Amino acid sequence: MSSFAEQKRRLRARSEHVLRMAAMEDVARRYPRRTVPSALPDEGPFWRRVFVPLYRRAPWELKRNAMRTLKLTAQGWPEQSRQFGEPWRPPSPPRDT
Amino acid sequence: MSERLIVIGGGGAGTAASTIAKRTNPDMQVAVYSEFPDIAYSPCGIPYAHGREIPEFENLFLSTVQRYVEDGLEMNMETTVTDIDLDRRTVTARNKHEGFDKLILCTGFHWEQPAVPGANLQGLHYVKDIRRAMEFDKELDSMKRAVIIGGMWLGVEMSGALARRGLEVQFIDEGPWLLSELVDPDVAEPAQESLEKLGVNVRMGTKLLGFVGGSDGRVQAVSTSEGELECDVAVICLHKLPNTSLASSIGLELGTTGAVVVDDHMRTSAPGVWAAGDVVEVPHGLSMLPISGLTGSHAYAQGRLAGANAAGENRTYDPVWIPWGFMAGDYTIGGFSIGETLAEAMGIPYVVAKGVGVSRARYFPGAARTHVKLLAEPGTLRLIGAQLHGGEGIKERCDFLAFVGKRGATLEDLAWMENIYSPPIGALYEPIQIAAQNGLAEQKASRREAVPA
Repeated sequence: MSSFAEQKRRLRARSEHVLRMAAMEDVARRYPRRTVPSALPDEGPFWRRVFVPLYRRAPWELKRNAMRTLKLTAQGWPEQSRQFGEPWRPPSPPRDT
Repeated sequence: MSERLIVIGGGGAGTAASTIAKRTNPDMQVAVYSEFPDIAYSPCGIPYAHGREIPEFENLFLSTVQRYVEDGLEMNMETTVTDIDLDRRTVTARNKHEGFDKLILCTGFHWEQPAVPGANLQGLHYVKDIRRAMEFDKELDSMKRAVIIGGMWLGVEMSGALARRGLEVQFIDEGPWLLSELVDPDVAEPAQESLEKLGVNVRMGTKLLGFVGGSDGRVQAVSTSEGELECDVAVICLHKLPNTSLASSIGLELGTTGAVVVDDHMRTSAPGVWAAGDVVEVPHGLSMLPISGLTGSHAYAQGRLAGANAAGENRTYDPVWIPWGFMAGDYTIGGFSIGETLAEAMGIPYVVAKGVGVSRARYFPGAARTHVKLLAEPGTLRLIGAQLHGGEGIKERCDFLAFVGKRGATLEDLAWMENIYSPPIGALYEPIQIAAQNGLAEQKASRREAVPA
Protein backbone atom coordinates (compact mmCIF):
# COMPACT_ATOMS: atom_id res chain seq x y z
CA MET A 1 0.00 0.00 0.00
CA SER A 2 1.43 3.39 -0.98
CA SER A 3 1.99 5.92 1.77
CA PHE A 4 -0.73 8.20 0.32
CA ALA A 5 -3.21 5.33 0.25
CA GLU A 6 -2.21 4.39 3.80
CA GLN A 7 -2.73 8.00 4.93
CA LYS A 8 -6.19 8.03 3.34
CA ARG A 9 -7.01 4.75 5.08
CA ARG A 10 -5.91 6.14 8.44
CA LEU A 11 -7.75 9.42 7.91
CA ARG A 12 -10.94 7.52 7.17
CA ALA A 13 -10.55 5.10 10.10
CA ARG A 14 -9.84 7.87 12.58
CA SER A 15 -12.55 10.25 11.38
CA GLU A 16 -15.14 7.46 11.29
CA HIS A 17 -14.21 6.45 14.80
CA VAL A 18 -14.57 9.92 16.33
CA LEU A 19 -17.75 10.71 14.40
CA ARG A 20 -19.29 7.42 15.49
CA MET A 21 -18.32 8.05 19.13
CA ALA A 22 -19.87 11.51 19.04
CA ALA A 23 -23.01 10.12 17.38
CA MET A 24 -23.25 7.36 20.00
CA GLU A 25 -23.25 9.97 22.76
CA ASP A 26 -26.06 11.92 21.09
CA VAL A 27 -28.14 8.84 20.29
CA ALA A 28 -27.61 7.43 23.80
CA ARG A 29 -29.17 10.60 25.24
CA ARG A 30 -32.30 9.88 23.20
CA TYR A 31 -32.42 6.23 24.38
CA PRO A 32 -31.02 6.35 27.93
CA ARG A 33 -32.58 3.12 29.25
CA ARG A 34 -29.97 0.61 28.12
CA THR A 35 -26.85 2.62 27.45
CA VAL A 36 -23.69 3.01 29.50
CA PRO A 37 -20.65 5.28 29.10
CA SER A 38 -18.49 4.08 26.24
CA ALA A 39 -15.03 2.61 26.87
CA LEU A 40 -13.98 3.10 23.24
CA PRO A 41 -10.58 4.79 22.88
CA ASP A 42 -10.53 8.57 22.47
CA GLU A 43 -8.54 9.99 19.54
CA GLY A 44 -7.55 13.20 21.26
CA PRO A 45 -8.84 16.77 21.66
CA PHE A 46 -8.27 17.93 18.06
CA TRP A 47 -10.55 15.28 16.64
CA ARG A 48 -13.22 15.69 19.28
CA ARG A 49 -13.23 19.46 19.72
CA VAL A 50 -12.29 20.66 16.24
CA PHE A 51 -12.95 17.99 13.63
CA VAL A 52 -16.34 16.75 14.87
CA PRO A 53 -17.97 20.20 15.23
CA LEU A 54 -16.58 21.34 11.86
CA TYR A 55 -17.76 18.18 10.12
CA ARG A 56 -21.19 18.49 11.66
CA ARG A 57 -21.54 22.11 10.64
CA ALA A 58 -21.00 21.34 6.95
CA PRO A 59 -24.09 20.35 4.93
CA TRP A 60 -24.22 16.75 3.66
CA GLU A 61 -23.86 17.80 0.00
CA LEU A 62 -20.62 19.61 0.83
CA LYS A 63 -19.32 16.59 2.73
CA ARG A 64 -20.25 14.28 -0.13
CA ASN A 65 -18.49 16.50 -2.66
CA ALA A 66 -15.40 16.69 -0.44
CA MET A 67 -15.33 12.89 -0.18
CA ARG A 68 -15.59 12.64 -3.97
CA THR A 69 -12.79 15.19 -4.45
CA LEU A 70 -10.52 13.35 -2.04
CA LYS A 71 -11.40 10.11 -3.90
CA LEU A 72 -12.69 8.59 -0.70
CA THR A 73 -15.76 7.37 -2.60
CA ALA A 74 -15.58 4.31 -4.83
CA GLN A 75 -14.01 4.80 -8.25
CA GLY A 76 -15.13 2.87 -11.33
CA TRP A 77 -18.70 2.47 -10.16
CA PRO A 78 -21.79 4.17 -11.57
CA GLU A 79 -22.88 6.84 -9.11
CA GLN A 80 -26.62 6.24 -9.39
CA SER A 81 -28.15 2.81 -9.32
CA ARG A 82 -31.38 2.27 -11.26
CA GLN A 83 -34.23 4.40 -10.01
CA PHE A 84 -37.58 3.05 -8.93
CA GLY A 85 -39.63 2.08 -11.96
CA GLU A 86 -36.76 2.64 -14.39
CA PRO A 87 -36.49 -0.28 -16.84
CA TRP A 88 -33.49 -2.57 -16.91
CA ARG A 89 -30.80 -1.64 -19.38
CA PRO A 90 -27.92 -3.75 -20.66
CA PRO A 91 -24.63 -2.98 -18.90
CA SER A 92 -22.08 -0.76 -20.56
CA PRO A 93 -19.55 -2.47 -22.85
CA PRO A 94 -16.62 -4.12 -21.04
CA ARG A 95 -13.28 -2.44 -20.79
CA ASP A 96 -10.23 -4.35 -21.94
CA THR A 97 -9.21 -6.87 -19.31
CA MET B 1 -5.69 -24.22 -26.35
CA SER B 2 -8.36 -23.42 -23.73
CA GLU B 3 -7.86 -20.63 -21.22
CA ARG B 4 -6.78 -21.47 -17.70
CA LEU B 5 -8.37 -19.74 -14.72
CA ILE B 6 -6.92 -19.99 -11.24
CA VAL B 7 -9.13 -19.19 -8.26
CA ILE B 8 -7.30 -18.62 -4.97
CA GLY B 9 -9.58 -19.33 -2.02
CA GLY B 10 -12.18 -21.98 -1.32
CA GLY B 11 -14.73 -20.04 0.72
CA GLY B 12 -18.08 -18.76 -0.47
CA ALA B 13 -16.62 -16.40 -3.09
CA GLY B 14 -14.01 -18.87 -4.36
CA THR B 15 -16.38 -21.81 -4.76
CA ALA B 16 -18.99 -19.63 -6.47
CA ALA B 17 -16.41 -18.07 -8.79
CA SER B 18 -14.92 -21.39 -9.88
CA THR B 19 -18.26 -23.15 -10.32
CA ILE B 20 -19.86 -20.35 -12.32
CA ALA B 21 -16.76 -19.86 -14.48
CA LYS B 22 -16.79 -23.53 -15.43
CA ARG B 23 -20.53 -23.49 -16.02
CA THR B 24 -20.29 -20.34 -18.15
CA ASN B 25 -17.40 -21.62 -20.24
CA PRO B 26 -17.09 -25.42 -20.03
CA ASP B 27 -13.94 -25.31 -22.16
CA MET B 28 -12.13 -23.20 -19.60
CA GLN B 29 -9.66 -25.00 -17.32
CA VAL B 30 -10.51 -23.95 -13.78
CA ALA B 31 -8.18 -24.68 -10.86
CA VAL B 32 -8.99 -23.87 -7.21
CA TYR B 33 -6.32 -23.42 -4.54
CA SER B 34 -7.35 -23.54 -0.89
CA GLU B 35 -5.25 -23.79 2.25
CA PHE B 36 -8.06 -25.74 3.94
CA PRO B 37 -9.10 -29.38 3.44
CA ASP B 38 -12.84 -28.73 3.02
CA ILE B 39 -15.00 -26.87 0.61
CA ALA B 40 -18.63 -25.79 0.41
CA TYR B 41 -19.47 -25.75 4.08
CA SER B 42 -21.33 -23.11 6.03
CA PRO B 43 -19.09 -21.29 8.52
CA CYS B 44 -22.09 -19.14 9.47
CA GLY B 45 -23.70 -22.25 10.95
CA ILE B 46 -20.82 -22.93 13.35
CA PRO B 47 -22.28 -21.07 16.39
CA TYR B 48 -25.55 -22.99 16.02
CA ALA B 49 -23.72 -26.33 15.90
CA HIS B 50 -21.93 -25.36 19.14
CA GLY B 51 -25.31 -24.52 20.64
CA ARG B 52 -26.68 -27.89 19.44
CA GLU B 53 -29.48 -26.23 17.50
CA ILE B 54 -27.81 -28.00 14.58
CA PRO B 55 -27.27 -31.53 15.90
CA GLU B 56 -24.12 -32.46 13.95
CA PHE B 57 -21.25 -30.45 12.50
CA GLU B 58 -21.43 -32.76 9.46
CA ASN B 59 -24.75 -31.10 8.60
CA LEU B 60 -22.80 -27.95 7.73
CA PHE B 61 -21.02 -29.66 4.83
CA LEU B 62 -23.02 -28.98 1.69
CA SER B 63 -20.81 -30.79 -0.83
CA THR B 64 -17.51 -32.59 -1.19
CA VAL B 65 -14.22 -31.88 -2.92
CA GLN B 66 -14.85 -34.99 -5.03
CA ARG B 67 -18.10 -33.50 -6.32
CA TYR B 68 -16.24 -30.45 -7.60
CA VAL B 69 -13.67 -32.69 -9.28
CA GLU B 70 -16.51 -34.57 -10.98
CA ASP B 71 -17.79 -31.21 -12.22
CA GLY B 72 -14.48 -30.71 -13.99
CA LEU B 73 -12.65 -28.47 -11.55
CA GLU B 74 -9.02 -29.02 -10.55
CA MET B 75 -9.08 -28.91 -6.76
CA ASN B 76 -5.83 -28.18 -4.91
CA MET B 77 -6.79 -28.51 -1.27
CA GLU B 78 -4.48 -27.78 1.68
CA THR B 79 -2.32 -25.97 -0.84
CA THR B 80 -1.27 -22.45 0.01
CA VAL B 81 -0.36 -20.11 -2.81
CA THR B 82 2.79 -18.37 -1.66
CA ASP B 83 3.57 -16.19 -4.65
CA ILE B 84 2.03 -14.73 -7.79
CA ASP B 85 4.04 -13.56 -10.80
CA LEU B 86 1.81 -11.35 -12.92
CA ASP B 87 4.42 -10.92 -15.70
CA ARG B 88 4.90 -14.65 -16.17
CA ARG B 89 1.25 -15.37 -15.30
CA THR B 90 2.14 -18.03 -12.72
CA VAL B 91 1.28 -18.82 -9.12
CA THR B 92 3.61 -20.70 -6.80
CA ALA B 93 2.28 -23.34 -4.44
CA ARG B 94 4.28 -26.10 -2.77
CA ASN B 95 7.32 -24.79 -4.66
CA LYS B 96 5.64 -25.54 -7.99
CA HIS B 97 4.77 -22.90 -10.58
CA GLU B 98 1.37 -23.14 -12.21
CA GLY B 99 0.40 -20.98 -15.18
CA PHE B 100 -2.80 -19.03 -15.62
CA ASP B 101 -4.45 -16.76 -18.13
CA LYS B 102 -6.91 -15.29 -15.67
CA LEU B 103 -6.89 -15.07 -11.92
CA ILE B 104 -9.57 -14.55 -9.27
CA LEU B 105 -8.48 -13.68 -5.73
CA CYS B 106 -10.92 -14.80 -3.03
CA THR B 107 -8.51 -14.85 -0.11
CA GLY B 108 -11.13 -13.84 2.43
CA PHE B 109 -10.41 -12.32 5.80
CA HIS B 110 -8.72 -12.88 9.12
CA TRP B 111 -9.99 -11.77 12.50
CA GLU B 112 -8.66 -8.66 14.17
CA GLN B 113 -6.53 -9.70 17.11
CA PRO B 114 -6.64 -7.70 20.34
CA ALA B 115 -3.47 -5.68 20.95
CA VAL B 116 -3.25 -6.49 24.65
CA PRO B 117 -0.88 -8.59 26.81
CA GLY B 118 -1.51 -12.31 26.67
CA ALA B 119 -3.05 -12.34 23.19
CA ASN B 120 -0.83 -15.28 22.25
CA LEU B 121 -2.03 -17.57 25.06
CA GLN B 122 -3.66 -20.90 24.37
CA GLY B 123 -7.38 -20.98 24.92
CA LEU B 124 -8.14 -17.93 22.81
CA HIS B 125 -10.55 -19.08 20.16
CA TYR B 126 -11.41 -17.53 16.77
CA VAL B 127 -14.42 -18.85 14.86
CA LYS B 128 -13.48 -19.56 11.26
CA ASP B 129 -12.18 -22.95 10.12
CA ILE B 130 -14.70 -25.77 10.54
CA ARG B 131 -12.07 -28.40 11.48
CA ARG B 132 -10.86 -26.21 14.31
CA ALA B 133 -14.46 -25.58 15.31
CA MET B 134 -15.10 -29.33 15.49
CA GLU B 135 -12.10 -29.79 17.80
CA PHE B 136 -13.23 -26.81 19.87
CA ASP B 137 -16.69 -28.32 20.14
CA LYS B 138 -15.23 -31.41 21.84
CA GLU B 139 -13.23 -29.21 24.22
CA LEU B 140 -16.42 -27.37 25.14
CA ASP B 141 -17.72 -30.52 26.88
CA SER B 142 -15.15 -30.01 29.62
CA MET B 143 -15.48 -26.23 29.88
CA LYS B 144 -17.64 -24.25 32.28
CA ARG B 145 -16.90 -20.55 31.74
CA ALA B 146 -16.46 -18.55 28.56
CA VAL B 147 -15.75 -14.89 27.96
CA ILE B 148 -16.84 -13.52 24.58
CA ILE B 149 -14.95 -10.43 23.45
CA GLY B 150 -16.27 -8.01 20.88
CA GLY B 151 -19.59 -6.53 20.03
CA MET B 152 -20.15 -7.64 16.46
CA TRP B 153 -22.81 -10.10 15.29
CA LEU B 154 -20.64 -13.20 15.74
CA GLY B 155 -20.02 -12.42 19.40
CA VAL B 156 -23.76 -12.19 19.99
CA GLU B 157 -24.38 -15.49 18.17
CA MET B 158 -21.56 -17.25 20.03
CA SER B 159 -22.80 -15.91 23.38
CA GLY B 160 -26.26 -17.33 22.77
CA ALA B 161 -24.83 -20.63 21.51
CA LEU B 162 -22.48 -21.22 24.44
CA ALA B 163 -25.18 -20.24 26.94
CA ARG B 164 -27.49 -22.82 25.36
CA ARG B 165 -24.66 -25.29 25.69
CA GLY B 166 -24.73 -24.71 29.44
CA LEU B 167 -21.62 -22.57 29.86
CA GLU B 168 -21.47 -19.54 32.10
CA VAL B 169 -21.00 -16.78 29.54
CA GLN B 170 -19.66 -13.25 30.03
CA PHE B 171 -19.92 -10.93 27.05
CA ILE B 172 -17.71 -7.85 27.07
CA ASP B 173 -17.55 -4.93 24.69
CA GLU B 174 -16.29 -1.34 24.85
CA GLY B 175 -19.38 0.11 23.19
CA PRO B 176 -22.14 1.97 25.06
CA TRP B 177 -24.81 -0.55 24.04
CA LEU B 178 -24.96 -3.99 22.48
CA LEU B 179 -23.87 -4.03 18.83
CA SER B 180 -23.36 -0.27 18.94
CA GLU B 181 -21.44 -0.25 15.64
CA LEU B 182 -24.40 -1.82 13.88
CA VAL B 183 -27.71 -1.05 15.59
CA ASP B 184 -29.42 1.71 17.51
CA PRO B 185 -30.08 1.37 21.27
CA ASP B 186 -33.82 0.77 20.84
CA VAL B 187 -33.05 -2.30 18.71
CA ALA B 188 -30.19 -3.43 20.93
CA GLU B 189 -32.30 -3.40 24.08
CA PRO B 190 -34.58 -6.40 23.35
CA ALA B 191 -31.62 -8.27 21.86
CA GLN B 192 -29.66 -7.80 25.10
CA GLU B 193 -32.67 -8.85 27.17
CA SER B 194 -32.98 -12.02 25.12
CA LEU B 195 -29.30 -12.86 25.68
CA GLU B 196 -29.70 -12.19 29.39
CA LYS B 197 -32.70 -14.52 29.53
CA LEU B 198 -30.39 -17.26 28.29
CA GLY B 199 -28.05 -16.44 31.17
CA VAL B 200 -25.45 -14.35 29.34
CA ASN B 201 -23.89 -11.65 31.50
CA VAL B 202 -23.65 -8.69 29.12
CA ARG B 203 -21.03 -6.13 30.19
CA MET B 204 -21.11 -3.11 27.90
CA GLY B 205 -18.69 -0.21 28.26
CA THR B 206 -16.08 -2.71 29.41
CA LYS B 207 -12.53 -2.44 28.16
CA LEU B 208 -10.34 -5.47 27.49
CA LEU B 209 -7.00 -5.01 29.24
CA GLY B 210 -5.35 -8.38 28.69
CA PHE B 211 -5.42 -12.13 29.13
CA VAL B 212 -4.09 -13.84 32.23
CA GLY B 213 -2.44 -17.21 31.70
CA GLY B 214 -1.58 -20.10 33.98
CA SER B 215 1.72 -21.95 34.20
CA ASP B 216 0.50 -24.19 31.36
CA GLY B 217 0.36 -21.18 29.02
CA ARG B 218 -3.41 -21.35 28.82
CA VAL B 219 -5.79 -18.47 29.45
CA GLN B 220 -7.31 -18.51 32.93
CA ALA B 221 -8.91 -15.11 33.10
CA VAL B 222 -9.68 -12.03 31.06
CA SER B 223 -8.51 -8.77 32.57
CA THR B 224 -11.01 -5.95 31.99
CA SER B 225 -11.76 -2.43 33.21
CA GLU B 226 -14.44 -4.07 35.39
CA GLY B 227 -12.04 -6.56 36.96
CA GLU B 228 -10.81 -10.05 36.14
CA LEU B 229 -13.22 -12.58 34.66
CA GLU B 230 -12.17 -16.19 35.17
CA CYS B 231 -12.66 -18.42 32.16
CA ASP B 232 -11.77 -21.67 30.45
CA VAL B 233 -11.87 -20.07 27.03
CA ALA B 234 -12.00 -16.58 25.53
CA VAL B 235 -13.73 -16.29 22.18
CA ILE B 236 -12.52 -13.30 20.16
CA CYS B 237 -15.09 -11.79 17.84
CA LEU B 238 -13.65 -8.44 16.76
CA HIS B 239 -13.66 -7.06 13.20
CA LYS B 240 -13.05 -8.95 9.98
CA LEU B 241 -9.88 -7.70 8.24
CA PRO B 242 -9.30 -8.37 4.55
CA ASN B 243 -6.56 -10.90 3.86
CA THR B 244 -4.61 -8.87 1.32
CA SER B 245 -1.10 -10.27 1.66
CA LEU B 246 -1.10 -11.84 -1.82
CA ALA B 247 -2.92 -8.85 -3.34
CA SER B 248 -0.35 -6.47 -1.84
CA SER B 249 2.52 -8.61 -3.04
CA ILE B 250 1.47 -8.09 -6.67
CA GLY B 251 0.75 -4.41 -6.21
CA LEU B 252 -3.04 -4.46 -6.50
CA GLU B 253 -4.61 -1.17 -5.49
CA LEU B 254 -5.96 -1.23 -1.94
CA GLY B 255 -8.66 1.15 -0.82
CA THR B 256 -9.57 3.17 2.23
CA THR B 257 -10.83 0.11 4.12
CA GLY B 258 -7.54 -1.69 3.44
CA ALA B 259 -9.29 -4.12 1.07
CA VAL B 260 -8.71 -4.66 -2.65
CA VAL B 261 -10.28 -2.04 -4.93
CA VAL B 262 -12.53 -3.53 -7.62
CA ASP B 263 -14.84 -1.95 -10.18
CA ASP B 264 -18.43 -2.94 -10.82
CA HIS B 265 -17.22 -5.98 -12.82
CA MET B 266 -15.13 -7.12 -9.82
CA ARG B 267 -11.98 -6.31 -11.81
CA THR B 268 -8.91 -5.31 -9.83
CA SER B 269 -6.30 -2.76 -10.87
CA ALA B 270 -4.33 -5.50 -12.70
CA PRO B 271 -5.51 -6.71 -16.13
CA GLY B 272 -6.95 -10.22 -16.09
CA VAL B 273 -7.25 -10.31 -12.29
CA TRP B 274 -10.60 -10.25 -10.51
CA ALA B 275 -11.34 -10.39 -6.78
CA ALA B 276 -14.42 -11.11 -4.70
CA GLY B 277 -15.65 -11.66 -1.17
CA ASP B 278 -14.19 -10.42 2.07
CA VAL B 279 -10.92 -9.38 0.43
CA VAL B 280 -12.58 -6.59 -1.61
CA GLU B 281 -14.33 -3.34 -0.86
CA VAL B 282 -17.50 -2.27 -2.65
CA PRO B 283 -19.45 0.99 -2.39
CA HIS B 284 -22.42 1.55 -0.14
CA GLY B 285 -25.36 2.55 -2.32
CA LEU B 286 -26.28 5.59 -0.24
CA SER B 287 -22.90 7.24 0.30
CA MET B 288 -20.75 5.50 -2.35
CA LEU B 289 -18.14 5.09 0.38
CA PRO B 290 -16.35 1.74 0.00
CA ILE B 291 -17.02 -0.86 2.68
CA SER B 292 -15.68 -4.37 3.26
CA GLY B 293 -16.28 -7.40 5.47
CA LEU B 294 -19.90 -7.92 4.43
CA THR B 295 -21.98 -11.08 4.65
CA GLY B 296 -21.59 -14.57 3.20
CA SER B 297 -24.34 -13.86 0.69
CA HIS B 298 -22.43 -10.83 -0.58
CA ALA B 299 -19.28 -12.93 -0.95
CA TYR B 300 -21.21 -15.61 -2.80
CA ALA B 301 -22.87 -13.12 -5.19
CA GLN B 302 -19.58 -11.33 -5.87
CA GLY B 303 -17.85 -14.67 -6.52
CA ARG B 304 -20.56 -15.68 -8.99
CA LEU B 305 -20.20 -12.41 -10.82
CA ALA B 306 -16.39 -12.50 -10.91
CA GLY B 307 -16.50 -16.11 -12.19
CA ALA B 308 -19.01 -15.27 -14.92
CA ASN B 309 -17.01 -12.24 -16.07
CA ALA B 310 -13.69 -14.10 -16.02
CA ALA B 311 -15.36 -16.71 -18.23
CA GLY B 312 -16.39 -14.10 -20.78
CA GLU B 313 -19.66 -12.60 -19.60
CA ASN B 314 -20.28 -8.93 -18.94
CA ARG B 315 -22.14 -8.62 -15.66
CA THR B 316 -22.17 -5.72 -13.26
CA TYR B 317 -22.49 -5.64 -9.50
CA ASP B 318 -24.56 -2.89 -7.92
CA PRO B 319 -23.46 -0.78 -4.96
CA VAL B 320 -24.72 -2.53 -1.82
CA TRP B 321 -27.60 -1.65 0.51
CA ILE B 322 -26.73 -4.52 2.88
CA PRO B 323 -29.78 -6.28 4.21
CA TRP B 324 -28.68 -7.97 7.43
CA GLY B 325 -30.23 -9.93 10.24
CA PHE B 326 -29.44 -12.51 12.88
CA MET B 327 -30.58 -14.08 16.10
CA ALA B 328 -29.67 -12.50 19.41
CA GLY B 329 -30.64 -15.23 21.85
CA ASP B 330 -34.18 -16.12 20.82
CA TYR B 331 -34.87 -12.75 19.26
CA THR B 332 -34.40 -11.60 15.67
CA ILE B 333 -32.96 -8.25 14.72
CA GLY B 334 -32.24 -6.96 11.24
CA GLY B 335 -32.14 -4.00 8.97
CA PHE B 336 -30.58 -2.53 5.87
CA SER B 337 -28.26 0.34 5.01
CA ILE B 338 -27.98 2.68 8.02
CA GLY B 339 -29.64 3.34 11.36
CA GLU B 340 -29.91 6.55 13.34
CA THR B 341 -26.43 6.25 14.87
CA LEU B 342 -24.63 5.84 11.56
CA ALA B 343 -26.75 8.56 9.91
CA GLU B 344 -25.81 10.92 12.78
CA ALA B 345 -22.16 9.96 12.49
CA MET B 346 -22.03 10.54 8.75
CA GLY B 347 -24.10 13.69 8.98
CA ILE B 348 -26.78 12.38 6.64
CA PRO B 349 -30.10 14.19 7.19
CA TYR B 350 -33.01 11.85 7.93
CA VAL B 351 -36.50 11.53 9.34
CA VAL B 352 -37.66 8.52 11.33
CA ALA B 353 -40.89 6.54 10.90
CA LYS B 354 -41.67 3.95 13.57
CA GLY B 355 -44.43 1.41 13.98
CA VAL B 356 -45.28 -1.84 15.72
CA GLY B 357 -47.41 -4.52 14.10
CA VAL B 358 -47.87 -8.26 14.28
CA SER B 359 -46.36 -11.04 12.23
CA ARG B 360 -49.65 -12.96 11.78
CA ALA B 361 -53.30 -12.20 12.42
CA ARG B 362 -53.53 -10.95 15.99
CA TYR B 363 -55.74 -13.89 17.02
CA PHE B 364 -53.61 -16.58 15.41
CA PRO B 365 -51.37 -18.60 17.77
CA GLY B 366 -47.73 -17.62 17.49
CA ALA B 367 -48.35 -14.03 16.40
CA ALA B 368 -45.35 -11.92 17.42
CA ARG B 369 -44.86 -8.19 17.64
CA THR B 370 -42.80 -6.76 14.79
CA HIS B 371 -41.06 -3.43 15.41
CA VAL B 372 -40.17 -1.39 12.34
CA LYS B 373 -38.07 1.76 12.20
CA LEU B 374 -37.62 3.38 8.78
CA LEU B 375 -35.18 6.18 7.96
CA ALA B 376 -36.03 8.44 5.05
CA GLU B 377 -34.51 11.42 3.30
CA PRO B 378 -36.22 14.66 4.42
CA GLY B 379 -38.34 16.20 1.71
CA THR B 380 -38.40 13.35 -0.79
CA LEU B 381 -39.09 10.80 1.99
CA ARG B 382 -37.01 8.33 0.01
CA LEU B 383 -36.11 5.28 2.11
CA ILE B 384 -32.44 5.28 3.16
CA GLY B 385 -32.33 2.70 5.96
CA ALA B 386 -34.28 0.56 8.38
CA GLN B 387 -33.90 -1.44 11.58
CA LEU B 388 -36.39 -4.09 12.69
CA HIS B 389 -36.79 -6.47 15.57
CA GLY B 390 -39.24 -9.12 16.61
CA GLY B 391 -39.98 -12.76 15.94
CA GLU B 392 -40.73 -14.28 12.56
CA GLY B 393 -40.54 -12.47 9.24
CA ILE B 394 -37.76 -10.00 10.10
CA LYS B 395 -35.39 -11.40 7.47
CA GLU B 396 -37.93 -11.22 4.64
CA ARG B 397 -38.91 -7.67 5.53
CA CYS B 398 -35.25 -6.56 5.60
CA ASP B 399 -34.61 -8.17 2.19
CA PHE B 400 -37.71 -6.43 0.83
CA LEU B 401 -36.81 -3.05 2.30
CA ALA B 402 -33.23 -3.23 1.00
CA PHE B 403 -34.53 -4.01 -2.47
CA VAL B 404 -37.15 -1.26 -2.61
CA GLY B 405 -34.77 1.19 -0.92
CA LYS B 406 -32.22 0.50 -3.65
CA ARG B 407 -34.92 1.18 -6.25
CA GLY B 408 -35.89 4.51 -4.69
CA ALA B 409 -39.09 3.70 -2.77
CA THR B 410 -40.50 6.41 -0.51
CA LEU B 411 -42.50 6.37 2.73
CA GLU B 412 -45.53 7.21 0.57
CA ASP B 413 -44.96 4.02 -1.50
CA LEU B 414 -44.64 1.89 1.64
CA ALA B 415 -47.61 3.47 3.40
CA TRP B 416 -49.89 2.37 0.58
CA MET B 417 -48.15 -0.87 -0.44
CA GLU B 418 -50.10 -4.05 -1.09
CA ASN B 419 -49.53 -6.90 1.30
CA ILE B 420 -50.58 -10.48 1.97
CA TYR B 421 -53.28 -10.98 4.55
CA SER B 422 -53.58 -14.63 5.55
CA PRO B 423 -54.06 -15.26 9.29
CA PRO B 424 -51.31 -17.91 9.77
CA ILE B 425 -48.66 -15.96 7.82
CA GLY B 426 -49.55 -12.28 7.70
CA ALA B 427 -51.67 -9.63 9.39
CA LEU B 428 -54.21 -7.37 7.73
CA TYR B 429 -52.08 -4.32 8.45
CA GLU B 430 -48.46 -4.91 7.52
CA PRO B 431 -45.99 -3.56 10.14
CA ILE B 432 -43.98 -1.76 7.44
CA GLN B 433 -47.16 0.06 6.36
CA ILE B 434 -47.86 1.04 9.96
CA ALA B 435 -44.41 2.57 10.35
CA ALA B 436 -44.65 4.41 7.04
CA GLN B 437 -48.16 5.71 7.81
CA ASN B 438 -46.95 6.94 11.20
CA GLY B 439 -44.02 8.64 9.53
CA LEU B 440 -46.26 10.39 7.02
CA ALA B 441 -48.59 11.53 9.82
CA GLU B 442 -45.64 12.98 11.74
CA GLN B 443 -44.39 14.78 8.67
CA LYS B 444 -47.83 16.23 8.09
CA ALA B 445 -48.06 17.35 11.72
CA SER B 446 -44.63 18.95 11.64
CA ARG B 447 -45.50 20.83 8.43
CA ARG B 448 -48.68 22.07 10.11
CA GLU B 449 -46.69 23.25 13.13
CA ALA B 450 -44.26 25.04 10.85
CA VAL B 451 -47.03 27.10 9.22
CA PRO B 452 -47.90 30.14 11.37
CA ALA B 453 -51.59 30.43 12.28
